[in-house]
Amino acid sequence: MTDPVVVCTWSAVRDQPWEETEAALTLGRTVSGACGAELHWLVVGPSLDEGPEIAGRHGVARVDRIDDPKLEDGRPDAFVEALAQYCASHPCRLLLFNQNFATRLVAPRVAGRLGVGVVMNGTDIEVDGDRLDVTAAAYGGDTRVVYGLEGPGPCVVALLANAVAPEPTEDAGTAPAATELEVDLSGVEERIRVLEAAHTEGPRLEDAEIIVSGGRGLGSPENFKLIEELADVLGGMAGASRPLVDEGWIDSSRQVGLTGKITRPALYLAAGISGATQHMVGCSAAKTIVAINTDPDAAIFRHARYGIVGDCTELLPELIRAASEAGDS
Amino acid sequence: MRIVVCIKEVLDPDAVNAYALAGRLEIGDDDKTLTQTTIPRLMNGFDEQAIEAALRMRDAGTDATICVVSVGSDLTVPLRHAMALGADEVVAIEPPSSTGDYHTVAALLAAYIRSHGGADLVLCGRQASDDDQGVVPALIGESLGMPVVAIARDVEAAGSAEAPAVRVTRVTPDGDEIVEATCPAVVTISNELGEPRYPTMPMKMAARRVKPTDVSATDLSLDPQALEPRVVMTRQFVPTVKGDCEFISGDEPADVADRLVRRLLEDNIVRGRSPR
Repeated sequence: MTDPVVVCTWSAVRDQPWEETEAALTLGRTVSGACGAELHWLVVGPSLDEGPEIAGRHGVARVDRIDDPKLEDGRPDAFVEALAQYCASHPCRLLLFNQNFATRLVAPRVAGRLGVGVVMNGTDIEVDGDRLDVTAAAYGGDTRVVYGLEGPGPCVVALLANAVAPEPTEDAGTAPAATELEVDLSGVEERIRVLEAAHTEGPRLEDAEIIVSGGRGLGSPENFKLIEELADVLGGMAGASRPLVDEGWIDSSRQVGLTGKITRPALYLAAGISGATQHMVGCSAAKTIVAINTDPDAAIFRHARYGIVGDCTELLPELIRAASEAGDS
Repeated sequence: MRIVVCIKEVLDPDAVNAYALAGRLEIGDDDKTLTQTTIPRLMNGFDEQAIEAALRMRDAGTDATICVVSVGSDLTVPLRHAMALGADEVVAIEPPSSTGDYHTVAALLAAYIRSHGGADLVLCGRQASDDDQGVVPALIGESLGMPVVAIARDVEAAGSAEAPAVRVTRVTPDGDEIVEATCPAVVTISNELGEPRYPTMPMKMAARRVKPTDVSATDLSLDPQALEPRVVMTRQFVPTVKGDCEFISGDEPADVADRLVRRLLEDNIVRGRSPR
């Protein structure tokens, strides 16, 4: 029997919507089908109520769970040690993570600990005999690179958000009961001490249903208040492209893109944003993108449902007015 | 405190993006390499900010030597730039072959650090803007048994001379987090650190005569197996983007705005405010 494909999720990670877990299970199922292996799901940390139903929907043959008080607050050393122990006793072909802030660090550390290959920013995996061909985004998404990975040992891959559409199997099976596994983390002392924990104030961009984002086309930092005002009228939140953060116009908690927030709102209105690929990574999952740009050839229009060619500093005040009136009528 | 900053030379990502957006990015006959010679090579932006982080620590009074190291061939230009910025030493590591991957690069950097004076602090950019992988710092940390503090906007010296430590502000999805790690440690720097400085003219002039210290893989007495690539790039291509944008126009911004809002209401994408 071929070693199984293992999708690993970490319950301590907040930024892991169910769609992403299901996307990883969907890709894991495709790979396990192609190499005649079972699909396993490794849950690290507390079990989750929705888990069994999702496992059933995706043809998961086995659910393993590792829990330990040291794994509950999301610190990395315990996680890496737990995964190293798991892989030592459970050989697997592929260890697949959703890419997020936590796994960006721990996935390559696990690979380093095991001495195996790792690919981040994965968008697809194909099986070619003993080799896995992993497609990954490069140059901020401008290109895709295909990497070949061969054993021995698991290939570690992190799946980029929104790269794979979740598709449950047609015949939903019964989820297997989770097998509790023991790991010995007594020797782990986290080497990084948290002096001041992160805390967001108010709602988060990742959860917003409507986002109005501004870019360089705003011209000056003062014009960002037009973005905030329109967001407010629409009942949404304000976002920004990376140049505005780099210039210090706006706090980095507002940055949408590959090195910022990955968002999935119903409406993403981009004003004065050219649509550089690394920005689109953070908003391409939006159901509807509306773009305003002076350049009719701007890349953002290739992603947009509705486009307006024009100066966003002239259009934004009118949109604020029109949206307010729509609410009043 | 000895600070080792690891840098990489990359193709200018803005130039690559400009070609890609214009639909004119060319990939060579090997199906892998971006061939346009008009795309400049430069130091990875996050790595330049990692050097900046080291310089700011020294400016703040930390007694630090800064060693900038890179793996590759023909690295004189970026390493002289590092020297002009204020590095004390620049080192070029020649890889054993061109078939290496980032596991090879991490193995070489870790071996260099282990065998050439160690490091109290290893600084890297959070990722290279060509492959965007961001795995080398984590692999170095694992190889050297150092903790890795990822995605920092600020690093300062903490602890004492006998027990050095670093206090790091990380940019997390939930806002800033402040952590402390005992040295030696690896820290990766993100763009939120802010603009790196420009070299002064006298520093630039002085750096023109600097020759990087050359180190070969054999100098590092590495087990050849450690240099074996785990990941082999087989192909690179430009993904296609579908487009079905409906343009909304009108005589005045007010008309355009009204039309757009009407469409969004019709599509149930936005709701009118509830009646007062």
